[in-house]
Amino acid sequence: MSEKLLITGKQTIKGRVKVNGAKNAAVAILPAALLTEGQGVISNLPRITDIHMLVEILSALGADISFNKEGSLVVNSAGVNRFDPPPQLVNRLRASYYLMGSLLGRFKQVEIPMPGGCDLGPRPIDQHIKGFSALGAQVEMERGMVILKAKKLTGAHIYLDVISVGATINIMLAAVLAEGKTVIENVAREPEIVDVANFLNAMGAHVVGAGTDVIKIQGVKELGGVEHNVIPDRIEAGTFMIAAAATGGEAVIEEVIPKHLDSIIAKLREVGKELEVGPDWIKVMANNPFYPLDLKTFPYPGFPTDLQPPVMVLLTMAPGLSFITENVFERRFRHVDELCKMGAKIKLEGRTAIIEGGHELTGASVQAGDLRGGAAFIIAGLISEGETYLDGLEHIDRGYERIEERFSGLGVKLQRITSEKP
Amino acid sequence: MEENGNNSDLNNTMKFSVKPEDEVNEAHRVLADVYEALKEKGYNPINQLVGYLLSGDPAYITSYKDARIVIRSIERDELLEELVRVYLYRELEGNR
Repeated sequence: MSEKLLITGKQTIKGRVKVNGAKNAAVAILPAALLTEGQGVISNLPRITDIHMLVEILSALGADISFNKEGSLVVNSAGVNRFDPPPQLVNRLRASYYLMGSLLGRFKQVEIPMPGGCDLGPRPIDQHIKGFSALGAQVEMERGMVILKAKKLTGAHIYLDVISVGATINIMLAAVLAEGKTVIENVAREPEIVDVANFLNAMGAHVVGAGTDVIKIQGVKELGGVEHNVIPDRIEAGTFMIAAAATGGEAVIEEVIPKHLDSIIAKLREVGKELEVGPDWIKVMANNPFYPLDLKTFPYPGFPTDLQPPVMVLLTMAPGLSFITENVFERRFRHVDELCKMGAKIKLEGRTAIIEGGHELTGASVQAGDLRGGAAFIIAGLISEGETYLDGLEHIDRGYERIEERFSGLGVKLQRITSEKP
Repeated sequence: MEENGNNSDLNNTMKFSVKPEDEVNEAHRVLADVYEALKEKGYNPINQLVGYLLSGDPAYITSYKDARIVIRSIERDELLEELVRVYLYRELEGNR
């Protein structure tokens, strides 16, 4: 059985949509729930395959997991008795590397395959390992496995050579139960890190400075139960904003934290779009000027790399030359070939894509090679002439909950087609 | 001398009642509302507010009771000013 998305072209977005909980926070918060024997109640979790996989992994380790009647996930990790997450699941989910920090933190041991996930170029975990070693863990890497063991973990001063969201969170997870004080310098500042710190602190941890470039953690002996509401997904919000802007439509994106979307708001305004920003909503107005842009991706608060593929589609609408420089992931231009199949005129020079905008796209059969590239093809399908068939939905389902239903709330039709042929 | 608010002759000397500054201070109200919301949801209000003041990230503030919206109704520098002002007044001026 294989699934495709049929996207009819020339559709204009009009409507409102509530943003789900942030995938990139949720995939770290679930492993963080392993740090306590108490009960974790987590609400506003997105129902995406990455979360389903994590639930399977945590269950396989011995955690008791269920949904309560409010739809929140209830995690009880008192019965966890395994420290070797199933390789077949771990290989499909890059974020499973957060199990290193949480299992090492609580049980002082973990054996896990090297992480999988979207292929966006080399994403080494050396900074994670550097942090674990500094805290006192013995590290063995053999036959594609990472084995971490420690008699005890002790607070340390760690300077990250590369700003990394994953390493920042993973070291935080390992350090909250370490003895003494840990200082992590040159850390990432993404809002998802703040949300994980909130979760840990609500369990009784003492993490200070998340959201700045230095995080200080005073280790505690144990953590307790917690109730937590995951922050809104700024990437999902940005995807809807860009889709509305590209189709010349009007959309209200609700339940967002506008501050997290500053860079997207700024760039959409530069492109010529009018936006109204409320306390927890953003309205993209229906108007059609498109001006070319010079855009560079950077860690937060810069323009997020996750929205580079969707914004590239938007820029195909802007007459003239636009430039996108990808500074975060080396191989995040895999969507370019497929966009060119749809008639986009894009040239790659090293880490920069040069987009000659103003040429109409036409529907085609395209293949999503990664999550955010997939989102870009949906937007491309909506603005193009004719029909687009999008393969590789497993990538999109990893990060967007029931994408066709979400877009249907915005007045456009995406049809999921199931066929027998692989 | 007469209280304002009546129809007295404006040529007369009048006495105006002015509320103490604290009572009308917006920063004070915001901090009080956010404090309550954080406490009710089981967070440590001091840690969360310090985190917000340091980073500027509203994710530190719960969405419960619209506290995340309330905190953004006032600039961070005004909140800090209120905190420093009250501390200095109470701990330094108040003890003289």
